[in-house]
Order: sequence, then C-alpha cells, then structure tokens
Amino acid sequence: MNFIKRGFLGITRKKGKSLILLAVIFILGNLISGAISIQQATGNVESTIKERLGTAATIDIDYDEWDAMSESELESLEMEEISVDLIKQIGELSYVKYYDYSMSTWLGSESVESYHDEESDVDYIVEGPSTDFRLKGINYAPVIDFEEGKAELADGRVFTDDEIEKGTSVAIISQKLADENNLNVGDTFTLANDVYTYDEETGEDDIVNSRDVVLEIIGLFEPSEAKKETDENSDSGMMILTDDMDYHNTVYVPNEIVIDETQFNWEEYLKADEELAEMMEGEDESFEYYEPIYYLNNPEDIEAFTEEVKPLLPELYSVISASDQYDNIAGPIESMSKLAKYVLIVAVIATVLITGLVVLLFLRDRKRELGIYLSLGEKRSRVVGQILIEVMVVAVIGITLSLFSGNLLAQQVSDTMMKADDNQDEYFEEYYYEGINTDLTAEDVMDSYEVTLNSSYVLGFYGVGLVTILISTIIPLIYIVRLNPKKILM
Amino acid sequence: MILEAKDLNYYYQDGEQRRYILKDTSISFEKGKFYTILGQSGSGKTTLLSLLSALDSPHSGEVLFNGDDIKKIGYEKYRRNNVGIIFQSYNLIPTFTAVENVLVPMSITENEIPEDTKTVAYNLLDYIGIVKNKADRLVNRLSGGEQQRVAIARALATNVELILADEPTGNLDEEMEQEIIEIFKKLAHEHGKCVIVVTHSNEIALQSDQAFRLRKGVLTSYE
Repeated sequence: MNFIKRGFLGITRKKGKSLILLAVIFILGNLISGAISIQQATGNVESTIKERLGTAATIDIDYDEWDAMSESELESLEMEEISVDLIKQIGELSYVKYYDYSMSTWLGSESVESYHDEESDVDYIVEGPSTDFRLKGINYAPVIDFEEGKAELADGRVFTDDEIEKGTSVAIISQKLADENNLNVGDTFTLANDVYTYDEETGEDDIVNSRDVVLEIIGLFEPSEAKKETDENSDSGMMILTDDMDYHNTVYVPNEIVIDETQFNWEEYLKADEELAEMMEGEDESFEYYEPIYYLNNPEDIEAFTEEVKPLLPELYSVISASDQYDNIAGPIESMSKLAKYVLIVAVIATVLITGLVVLLFLRDRKRELGIYLSLGEKRSRVVGQILIEVMVVAVIGITLSLFSGNLLAQQVSDTMMKADDNQDEYFEEYYYEGINTDLTAEDVMDSYEVTLNSSYVLGFYGVGLVTILISTIIPLIYIVRLNPKKILM
Repeated sequence: MILEAKDLNYYYQDGEQRRYILKDTSISFEKGKFYTILGQSGSGKTTLLSLLSALDSPHSGEVLFNGDDIKKIGYEKYRRNNVGIIFQSYNLIPTFTAVENVLVPMSITENEIPEDTKTVAYNLLDYIGIVKNKADRLVNRLSGGEQQRVAIARALATNVELILADEPTGNLDEEMEQEIIEIFKKLAHEHGKCVIVVTHSNEIALQSDQAFRLRKGVLTSYE
C-alpha cells in the first residue's frame, strides 16, 4: 500500500470527486486544445506559405513612401541609384545563399524564329519593331533560375566564371526555341541589335543602325514541371500564356554582353537624336540599371536580412521580399492566431485557478486522511506525490479526451470564422518582381489552413496541459506541507 | 528504559504571560508494562502524549527513546519506525478496508516486515478479533469497537515496541472498553510491548501496571 497505490485507490474509491475533477479538466482542456490547434494551424500556414513564396528578396523604391511625399519634397529629391558595390556588399551578408544582379534587353532576329504556342488560339499583335528575344544578363554563373528550380538544364552546360567575367558570346536558350529553329548545343545563332528612332511625322520607327550579336549555344533549358503546373492552375490564363512564351524566348547570356549591347544601342540612339543628346550633355550617362535578386538560406531570415540591409540603402529604397505579400494576404489568419493566443492565455489562467481551487477543496475534505499519513511517519514528499498522482492521472485522461474533442472544436470554430472572413471582399496589392513569386491569393492562404492532429500538436498540448495542471496543484501542495497532524487528529 | 521524558515544558503564550500545560515534567517507561496517565480534561495529558509520540515538540526538555533524543532520531522517522499511536476517534481512512488500513503503515515503515504483508495484516486483525470477512469491509461499515481494534492492529503493524493510546476507549461502551484493555495487557505482558494509555477513567488506571496522575501540568504517581 505505498503512496502510488494509495493514489490510484484515491481515484477509484472517490469516483464522484474524480469525475468532477475530470469534467473540469476536460472542459478547460478543450479550450486549451482548441487554442493550440488554431495556433498551430495558423503557424503552419505562415511557414507553408512563406516556404511557397520562397526566400527571394530584391531592392527597390518604396512606392508607399514615394506616394506619401509631397510635391515639394519630390521636386527637391535627388534619387540615388543602387550601385554594384552596394549590391555585392548586401550579397556578402551571411543570410544570403546566392544572389545575382542583371540587366535585360530585347533584341530581334531575322534568322531565328521566336517560339509561339501553336496550341493556343490566342492571337496577339505586336506593334512596332520586332524584339522577340529577351537577353537576360547573368552574373551568377550557375544561373539562379536553374538553382531555384524555375527551369532545368535539359542539355549542355551552364556558364563558367571566366565566360561571365569576360563576357564571352555564349548563350543558354530554351529547348523549344532550339527545336523551333533546329538549333543544338554548339551551334551559333544571330540576333540583331537594331537602333530605332521614332519619326513623329510618319508615326513609324526608323532603323538608324544595327549590329549582329552572334552567340554560341552552350546549354538548353526547359521550364520546370512545378512552374508549368502553377501556371496551368492560375486563373490569369492570358497573362501566363504571354509569360510562358516570353520565358521560352529568353536567352541567358553573360551580363557583359547585355551591357555592351545596351551601351551600343544607347550611344547610337543619342547620335540619331540630337535633341536628346543635347539634353543629356553633362549628365551622368549611366545606362546601367540593375535589379538585384537575393536568395536567402531560410524564409525565417527575411526579417533579420531586411533589418540589416535597410541602413545600407539610399533614401526611399527598401527591401522587397516574397513574404511581404503574406502580410498583405494573411489578415484573417493573423486575427485568428491572435484570438487563439488570447484564448490560450485565458484558458491556462482559468485552468490554474479553477483546478487549483477544486483540488484544494477536495484536499480540505481529506485533511484527516492526510493527517493520518503524517502521524504514521509518512514523508511529506510522498503525501504530495500521492496527491499529484491522483490529480495527474485524472488530468492525463481529461487531457487525452480533450485532445481529440478540442481539435474537432477548433476545426468547427475556424471553419466558421474562415467563412465569415471569406464573405468580406478583400483587395490585395499585387506587384511583380523577377524571381519573386506573387501569384498568391487569400484563397491559397485559406486553403493551406488546416487543423490537424499531428505529433507537434499532441506534444504541445500535453506539455501545456500537464504543466498547467502541475502549476494548479502548487497551492494545494503548499497546504499539505503546512499540515500539522496533532492539530488534525488530537 | 524504553522511553524517558526529561524536564518537559510546554506552554501557550497569552500576551506576555505563559500558560504552562506541562511544567518540568519528567517520566520514564519500561518495556513489558502497561501504563496509564490519568487526568481530567485540560490537565495536559493529551499534550504529554503528543510530545511522547513526536506529534508535537516541547518548548524545553527532551524525550529519549532507548536513550536517544527523538529530535535527533527525527520526529517523522521516530513515528515511522518506533511508535504506534492509537487515537480516541480511531482516525482510520474511511475509503479503505480494515486490512488496507493496516497495510498503510507497513508500506511507510523502514522496519523489517515479512514479505507477504497482506497475510500479516489479516493475521494481526484476526489476533485483535477482526475476522477476514470484516477485514475486507470498508472501516466505516464496522462498529466503534471494531474500528478501534483495527486502529490497534494498525499500531502494531510496524512491529514497534512502544504503543501510545489517547483515550482509546473514550467512544466505547463498558464491555468493549474491557476487551480493549485486555488486548493492551496482553500486548504488554505477553509480547513485551510498552503500552502507555492516556485516560480519564479510574477503572482503566486501576488495571494498569503503573499509573500516573497529571494535574495542572504536574505529574504525580497514582496509588
């Protein structure tokens, strides 16, 4: 009849009291369980969505801040460009996995046919000179788009550091573009860098100069399956169709080539347009404009990265990251998470107080019994142990029951709340940055919300539940420690 | 000498005045004898018993068990291994059966107890007059006399040499009182225990081997 056995006998011989305690723990357990379920589900949404949004970040003008500026402020504003040195400095931060900064230019060609989706019945007319091919400059030799799974190399190889540095005339084109023109790795093809001016009288563009850009194909790429699937599931079909075609007509080249071609085009344009040349005289003739893209090691690093980068940036610039969009979309989830947090705090406090009070009342009824144990020389720690066993065994049963029912309750409650939020029209700001996935809707967020019964929830709930019950027995245990057997029994 | 109290003082502080319950009280007890301490209500006899049983501690003086100060032995340990206490109101655990009540101190004591504790408990109860079918009943379904027998069996369960009883027959009729007294005599004379009973009954005092009278905190021999 040691204290453990006495504890179990205490539960079975006092069924009424055990059932009351069980009911109290079960009811309060449902609140805690429900709150933890919702918190976990909202936490999962955040990590899932942020995972899906990826770790990409870029630097750009903060248009909210820009819009907030008065006219006089805008007039006196001298915008600074983001320098290559700053881009590299940010790229060296420990949060960054890899980064690139590139320029793009659009070229045409007489010898190469651009890729068109033949299955598509969408006709679109391009006015003005044909510039079907996007020359995308690369400074990161393994090509970030391939590293990030946007596309994969179907044949050939990526660039070497030497080719990037020297601006060797090599290119990676899409498999479809190659098939369209019977091109293979090792072949060369020619694009045309045409310089046009706009004739205001005729309303037409006139070619003023042109030069050939001859590139050797070193690799062929194929957009990845994941990207295709995302595109197919998207609602904005036309937009995606154009995007898809643009991507197939993208030509990856070392960034130096893009700089050369842009410089040639710009200089020749200025020669043709004397008026503009006069205006530009004395001005900084920088035509280099880079859009940096950084990929971080973890989605959680975004905040720390932003904080570290912000002081380095010129006025009006800010870090734009994929996860920014989450903050715009996740309003209902965030409010539910907050509500669940408050419910959890209140439920834990209520459990501590109510369970503590119930146990204390029960112990007062058993004062004589406890006095008997002490008069027989039982150690107070064992008497405490006996009471803990009695409370904890009932608590484990109550918590286990509420583990399931609380989870079920959380599902019902969150479904109702989701529906209520869904009925409200919400508009989200959308923006487009190369490499940053923003085709995310509030529906995606809602879809990824799922109250599940997983191991982290089970462990979390048992942890919170049992610690709460343990805390709630502290007051009753103090009561036992202070008991005087003589006063009770004699 | 199994138990000895030396110069015990116990008082209540009433403002600046001390109200003595026991004043320089000394007494000693031997094994194999049945003692009674006689006194009226408020005479301090229960206080004396609580000090002898280590349920309370004196303001000054000492209680020696086999020559060792019980404070040094440790009050809890002394109660666990050296003394069996019987109360007027039995103080049994109502949700346990008679045999379970006897088993409780067996799991608490550090004294050597035979492995088959349940058989020992049944035998003890049987020896005291509680047969097996009554031993398996919840104690609140037993009569007062039977409950006090269970309390005596519980006091004996840890195989101690010292039994202290506070008005053990206070709630019993005369016939039952005599049966309990016979048990105490048997324990002292046949089993060599030292039995100390605190009572207000002259009848019991007359049947003990040695009786003391406690009046206003002062102990005298009762002839």
